[in-house]
Amino acid sequence: MAEEFVPKKKTYVEDIERTLYDIRDEDRSVYKSHSGLTEDIIRDISKRKNDPEWMTEFRLKSLETYNNMPLPTWGPDLSELNMDEIVTYVQPDAKMTGNWQEVPEDIKNTFDRLGIPEAEQKQSLAGVGAQYDSEVVYHSIQEDLVKQGVIYTDMETALWEHGDIVKEYFMTLVPPKDHKFTALHGAVWSGGSFVYVPEGVHVEIPLQSYFRLNAAGAGQFEHTLIIVEKGASLHFIEGCSAPKYNVTNLHAGCVELFVKEGARLRYSTIENWSRNMMNLNTKRAIVEKDGIIEWVSGSFGSHVSCLYPCSILHGENARCEFTGVTFASKGQNLDTGASVIHAAPHTSANINTRTISKAGGAATYRSAVKVTRNAPFAKCSVNCESLMLDSESRSDTLPVMDIEGDEADIGHEAKIGRISDEAIFYLTSRGIDEEEARAMIVRGFVEPIAKELPLEYAVEMNNLVNIELEGTMG
Amino acid sequence: MEKNVFSRIPMRTWRWLGVNEARAPENIDSEIKNKQILVDRETEENLVLTHREAGSYEVQIHLEAGARLNLVLAQLTPSDAAYTCRVRAHVADGAEFSYTVVEAGAHETVTELYVDLAGKEAKADVWGLYLGDGDSRIDMNYIIRQEGRLTDANMQVRGALLGESQKVFRGTLDFLEGSTGSVGRENEEVMLLSPKVRNRSVPIMLSHEADVDGHHAVSVGKMDENKLFYLMSRGLDLAEAQRLVVEASFRPVIDRIGDEALRDEIDTFLMRRLANG
Repeated sequence: MAEEFVPKKKTYVEDIERTLYDIRDEDRSVYKSHSGLTEDIIRDISKRKNDPEWMTEFRLKSLETYNNMPLPTWGPDLSELNMDEIVTYVQPDAKMTGNWQEVPEDIKNTFDRLGIPEAEQKQSLAGVGAQYDSEVVYHSIQEDLVKQGVIYTDMETALWEHGDIVKEYFMTLVPPKDHKFTALHGAVWSGGSFVYVPEGVHVEIPLQSYFRLNAAGAGQFEHTLIIVEKGASLHFIEGCSAPKYNVTNLHAGCVELFVKEGARLRYSTIENWSRNMMNLNTKRAIVEKDGIIEWVSGSFGSHVSCLYPCSILHGENARCEFTGVTFASKGQNLDTGASVIHAAPHTSANINTRTISKAGGAATYRSAVKVTRNAPFAKCSVNCESLMLDSESRSDTLPVMDIEGDEADIGHEAKIGRISDEAIFYLTSRGIDEEEARAMIVRGFVEPIAKELPLEYAVEMNNLVNIELEGTMG
Repeated sequence: MEKNVFSRIPMRTWRWLGVNEARAPENIDSEIKNKQILVDRETEENLVLTHREAGSYEVQIHLEAGARLNLVLAQLTPSDAAYTCRVRAHVADGAEFSYTVVEAGAHETVTELYVDLAGKEAKADVWGLYLGDGDSRIDMNYIIRQEGRLTDANMQVRGALLGESQKVFRGTLDFLEGSTGSVGRENEEVMLLSPKVRNRSVPIMLSHEADVDGHHAVSVGKMDENKLFYLMSRGLDLAEAQRLVVEASFRPVIDRIGDEALRDEIDTFLMRRLANG
């Protein structure tokens, strides 16, 4: 007689607590551009931002590129995005300041709730930047770093005070022609951070920029440009969140990281956008000889995400470490991953990701590893693991490896699965009760990633894996 | 379908990688040599197909409940041939499709394998081997769709690239909703034997079912130097040692071929190409 099929019980994993992020402020912006994208709107934004002439031209050329480019033919469905309804520039009722007390009360309260100034006061951050809608409202940096020549400021200030450097690097690594949303970014970018670490300087404590989008139906297009000179090092943390609205918001930021010879940059991100956000962000690093780029990336929020930080290992012995976690729940389609281009000899990369999907959420791991003929002795190891907590959800992995030449060593491993009964049996046989055993295993699943996160974010992620346990995972 | 597109991956990705579609060779003879195989309920068949001529082939397979098919397909076309082959198999409850494929000939090879594990406890055991040499192009797209409960898919592929050859292998395990308790394993091992080769590997795993166990792994690299060193220390020259290492890698696939004469023919065919490569 055929064995009776008994479906396995499910483990319940709570959603991430969003109350803190979902508190909205009254919209008290002093100016909003018209929704949509026209040359007049771009000229108006440029004028209001007091752009140098070359930047106005750059914006207009990017707009032309945007208008001539199709939407991507792969990835999540973007048909919900109607650019005619997106307000691309929202100027908050606040001027950029280096004094926290001068920040308007409601904006200050928002960042206070998110714990941004607290971390600075505790000196666990060496500098803080806070962007509200389209403009940076606060930027500070420790005095001793300034004395060592470190620059940490908003992009608009950098454009005027360090114009030569900005012009040399701005959108050279991620050109507007890269794809439709980088072209959009080139046209409407506003805010973001500029960091310059001079040769040999080690910034021991992290810098953090936090991006908050408060206005409904708006877009945020901050530009982050970081240059870490020869032998220098930096840890940069980026956080982002927004309250939830019933209209679509758009985030199309751009991050360009230049890691020079022997330099080291750790770029940590916790993305916690609201569930009405289309997060179409582009991040790229170029790493020169003996340089190291370390990405730590947590994707928890947004309705749709397309995020694949790219590392171009351009100099001999350049190295990349990518650690990522993605948690997709109801109404979310999070398409995340990484790409690495080995373009010099003896370059190496290590990609390690975990994804969890539940309650109808879709999580996709997408990656590309390219080894060019100029990169003999390249080494790359990719490991991605996925947990699906119910069958309403989706979990897909789509890695591509493209290797030219014969002197490469490339390994890829992926798993989709549930908690094994053997693991539970082992732990319970050691005196641990079943519920705790399951919790341990789920925490263990994300632990390799959690340990790489800044402390406050690791705590947040542990809260995320707050489990009411019954039955097996899966 | 767009002109010349022979096969697609189930989920698209970046265009710059050039792996979304496999295109048929331009000079292909488009007249399709078709074969249909039906294996009746609770019966077993062993079948060998040897494709020695250029052209377009199609094999349609239907396995009824409890049926079992051991299919060996050897593609040994001349080195200037253009070749496409599409194999589609429908596997019902408790049926098993065991497939061994050798892609060793042709200047341009484009193939698709599409297996639908439609029934409960349906099983697919796929072992593939490819060898690229000269300036040959090999393009493969294997998809196993796991639809029934407790299905079992195994995809094992071994390959070696010599000369200026290029190859794309896409392997997809697709766990559909309702494929509860299913397992899937996919593994590709590629040996790169010349500085001018290009290898693209695309191991895809799609899941719409939580209670499944899926693994995929790809390993791409040069020949293990320790193995070579050992063999050379036993008196073999470099070329002989390399041939032996490739042969060892291919052995699990070749050993599945029951027909001794064909096995020997494939061995000779491969070794000759390796020696010339």
